[in-house]
Amino acid sequence: MPDGINDIFSVLQADRISKSFGSVPVLFSVNMDVRPGEVHALIGENGAGKSTLMKILSGFHDPTSGRILFDGEEVVLPPNGGAEMLGIVLIHQELNLAEQMTVEENIFLGRELTKNGILDRQRMQAQVQEYLQDIGLDIAPTARISDLSIAEKQMVEIVKAISRNARVLIMDEPTAVLTEAETEVFFRQVTKLKEKGVAIVFVSHKLSEVKEISDRITILRDGQWIGTKEAGDMSLDAMAQMMVGRELSDLYPPMREADVDADRVLQVANLTAAGVKDVSFDLKRGEILGFSGLIGAGRTSVFEAICGLEPIISGTIHVNGAETRFASVAAARDAGIAYLTKDRKAKGLLLDKKMRPNLTLFSLPKFVKRFGLDIKSEDAALERAVRRFDIRARDPDISVGDMSGGNQQKLLLAKVMESEPQIVIIDEPTRGIDVGTKQQVYHFVTALAAEGVSVVVISSEMPEIIGLCHRVIVMRDGRTTGTLEGDGINETEIVRYAAGLKGEGLE
Amino acid sequence: MKPFSKLGAMVMTGALAMSATLAHADTIKIGVSYPTPTHAWAAGMNWHAEQAEKRLEALYPDVDMILVNSSDPSAQASALEDLVSVHKIDALVVLPFESEPLTDPVLNVKKSGALITVVDRGLSQPGIEDIYVAGNNPELGRVSAQYMKTRLKSGDNIVVLRGIPTLIDNERFDAFMAEMEGSGVNILDHKHANWNRDDGFEVMQDFLSRFPDIDAVWAQDDDIAIGVVAALKQAGRDGDGMFVVGGAGMKETIKAIMDGETLVPVDVLYPPSMIATAMDVTVAAFKSNGPVAGRYILGATLITPENAASFYFPDSPF
Amino acid sequence: MTLSTANTTAKGRSMKFDVKTAGPAIALILLCIIGFSLNPAFLSEGNLSNLLTRSAFIGIIAIGATFVITAGGIDLSVGSMAAAIAGVMIIIMNNAVDMLGTGVATVLLGCGCSILLGIGAGWINGVLTTKGKIEAFIVTLGTMGIYRSLVTYFADGGTLSLDFAIRGAYRPVYYDSFLGLPIPVWVFIVVSIVGWFLLNRTAFGRYCTAIGSNEGVAKYSAIKVDRVKTITYMIQGLCVSLATIIYVPRLGSASSSTGVLWELEAIAAVIIGGTVLKGGYGRIGGTILGALILTTIGNILNFTDLISNYLNGTMQGLIIIIAVWLQRGDWGKAKASKT
Repeated sequence: MPDGINDIFSVLQADRISKSFGSVPVLFSVNMDVRPGEVHALIGENGAGKSTLMKILSGFHDPTSGRILFDGEEVVLPPNGGAEMLGIVLIHQELNLAEQMTVEENIFLGRELTKNGILDRQRMQAQVQEYLQDIGLDIAPTARISDLSIAEKQMVEIVKAISRNARVLIMDEPTAVLTEAETEVFFRQVTKLKEKGVAIVFVSHKLSEVKEISDRITILRDGQWIGTKEAGDMSLDAMAQMMVGRELSDLYPPMREADVDADRVLQVANLTAAGVKDVSFDLKRGEILGFSGLIGAGRTSVFEAICGLEPIISGTIHVNGAETRFASVAAARDAGIAYLTKDRKAKGLLLDKKMRPNLTLFSLPKFVKRFGLDIKSEDAALERAVRRFDIRARDPDISVGDMSGGNQQKLLLAKVMESEPQIVIIDEPTRGIDVGTKQQVYHFVTALAAEGVSVVVISSEMPEIIGLCHRVIVMRDGRTTGTLEGDGINETEIVRYAAGLKGEGLE
Repeated sequence: MKPFSKLGAMVMTGALAMSATLAHADTIKIGVSYPTPTHAWAAGMNWHAEQAEKRLEALYPDVDMILVNSSDPSAQASALEDLVSVHKIDALVVLPFESEPLTDPVLNVKKSGALITVVDRGLSQPGIEDIYVAGNNPELGRVSAQYMKTRLKSGDNIVVLRGIPTLIDNERFDAFMAEMEGSGVNILDHKHANWNRDDGFEVMQDFLSRFPDIDAVWAQDDDIAIGVVAALKQAGRDGDGMFVVGGAGMKETIKAIMDGETLVPVDVLYPPSMIATAMDVTVAAFKSNGPVAGRYILGATLITPENAASFYFPDSPF
Repeated sequence: MTLSTANTTAKGRSMKFDVKTAGPAIALILLCIIGFSLNPAFLSEGNLSNLLTRSAFIGIIAIGATFVITAGGIDLSVGSMAAAIAGVMIIIMNNAVDMLGTGVATVLLGCGCSILLGIGAGWINGVLTTKGKIEAFIVTLGTMGIYRSLVTYFADGGTLSLDFAIRGAYRPVYYDSFLGLPIPVWVFIVVSIVGWFLLNRTAFGRYCTAIGSNEGVAKYSAIKVDRVKTITYMIQGLCVSLATIIYVPRLGSASSSTGVLWELEAIAAVIIGGTVLKGGYGRIGGTILGALILTTIGNILNFTDLISNYLNGTMQGLIIIIAVWLQRGDWGKAKASKT
């Protein structure tokens, strides 16, 4: 038993829980308890068993052995979300919203308020409005989910859980897609809930957040319970070490000096497209160029326009000195430019397919031999990629959707790199992946640049931008507001440009 | 129901008197309404209606025929309203799409004072029409069976291909079976071929695989018979006295009979030209000095090489 | 875990997989056993040859439909398209007799026109769905009505018949055999092989699957989504025209009742075969079995008088549902997914 678990009464407790899927054991005798009014973080690398534990705590999985205690009594949680009736709510990582319905309809889905058998829209809308104001979210209850940004959808999901009077709120990486500003709003809400006595379990890969918000931390590694500690007693390094089980040398590889005289491989001038206004910048050979800014600042739109994914309204693009405009993604790929999406699930990988077709999809023409696909060379490519990117799958025939986020991200990297691009744009390179994999991705990006590939990193994680990039461009409302270089790259500067306190467009 | 039809009858007498006076004063307007032709038989009917229109209008300058076809029952109901309100017809010749939904619309036309002639498909309420012209479905089955009996002896085997499962099909089939009873001819099996050439071909192929000894086929319909003949020829079982009896009076079939074809030696008439008959009778109601109202049930004539020429219309699509 | 050492876990999985994909084959074998026990003549050479030949029409069309459905589309117009192509083909050949005579040249002209029409009709469906951004269901529902009414119009409501003089040259395409198999069956075999190769062994096939699986991913993976989708409809059109080319010589006629409900039979064959209706996974082999199953059901019903004629539709419906259920049912399969 950790640190005197019985001292304070726990609302929900996992006692020596083990779980196997078929013959594959995933959790080994794990303990965890959640107290009313505490934030309990659950951390661990991808594949450590966090999601499984959360699903067991919310009744979506049965434990193979061990006990679940609710209010101190042993219970069998009702399956398939039935535990919500007990006040145990799990917010899935994949947002669980009906895209074509409104915010209000989603929040009241399954427990609509009625008056005389007819939906009482007014009352529902009023309540939703209240919730939204509470959380500081500026969207209308009548907005359609499909029109919202990912961040807003995430917030709606949280509002939905809050509206259900949860006693235990279990959240799987709620902040993964939120900007820092949004995360702050979110944490304020969490603190309010905490004060009301709600027990909160949350999973995050952002260790600084974990440190900031949680009271206690439980660490899992390879399905083993490593420990439960008071958050105040732990440094970020200690957390990372307990997760990884080895010394983590610096997260970011040493910065290699940028070659100031390198050729400019990409020159963009006065680019205007949907969500992009008059953007100009250069990219040098072997450079890592960061794009920072708030979500919705137009960073992704810039590169979608350049790569032929969205139409360009005006402006010029030079690649290796020659003016060009790509009519299709294929044309951009053939010119050596590849864009790696931040939306792994909707735009990056075919989740119902295996690794091989995913790996080669982007550069499939390369694998065509006499009209037919050369399966052998595809297999060879997969073997190479698995080695080069350290992709770990239980089974090579696994559907990509069943792989952990970190391995998916590595596969997505491998997929894009299969086209051997000279310029690669990586959008949110480490979204939703664990610290070990992050480190691998950072080292990989640095190595690429060292080989002479130019890399654009679009990221909402400030430390990543600061730790990785030679130069940083900050965007706001579709415009570039500033360019930072060398020692000038620091958090305050970026925030000032991103928030519009400082910048080229300002008088 | 009862008082309603009595009322109808009263209106009818009044209407007849009225239309008779109108007829002499002005041109006689006759609306002709039938379904849009979507299969060959209906296309034949369309052709015969057009022919009759030309012929009758040439014969009687004071007769004006208005032909309208509609693609579904409700369109036909609207067409009937237009005939009354726009054209102010004196008589209506109608082949209803379906009996039930068109009964009331036709009754409304009748209330406007027009003479009503119903063709082929009866309305679901008796007493609305003044004149009824139709083919004879049971007779078609009976005549076919009678011909079969002349060619077959006890112990011979036949198969039957039926149409689309409907009342028409049942009437034909039941009469055929009743007539065959006691003849000693074995009816091996009967399957629906939906008045369709492709289905006729496939059902017959399967009959041929299933029954090694078949002496004759009742295909009930000329389209089915075309499929049956193709299947017989494919299997090489078209000789040895084998014969097929269809029905309707398709021009290709009639032409073949005229030319002495042995595989399809006869046909049984269920003519699309019945619409022309109905138009003739309707005009006669205005022109004849004899009584015309009543039921005209056309014979299901057996078409043989001897009489085929009089049923042959090379220009008709059917 | 490296690729080569994972065989132990992969085995149980692939065994299960095999049973699933074998579903349609098992269903077909069961149907054949039922057919044989009802009447041994079911397995006679003549009947088997009839069965295969009949399956060829729906089968060839269904192979085209496999591409469309795998890429996430649907084509409801194929039956009407077949009728319209048959009609136009007959008109062209009848009119070409004076110029080209009654020989092979006229037949080839007819076939060539058929292929052009098929591909063109497919292109129209494809462009309207991709560039016009209209749902495939609506586009093809529209063209379905258009083609059907066109053939009615061409035939003046009746039946278009091929000039008897040409039939001699054209008839063998349906009725002759080569190495013991009827020509339509050969066409079916060739289309099947080409279709299988195209779907499973070419970049194009992979693109179809990717688009059906997730159009967003496909777009971001440098796939020209609109072009690939349009090509699937053109393949569908080509398949329809090939089916029409072997259909016309059978009875030498086309009318508005030609090809009625073929679209639904083709779609049913595709789904029975294991292709997923919402796209992303296609099986040509399954489609072929699906087409054979459908024709076999009709054939068996003609072989027995145990079941009322009026219940034919019920039997067909039941067998289709059971065949798909056998395949989809979650046979106690524990869904093993880890974090």
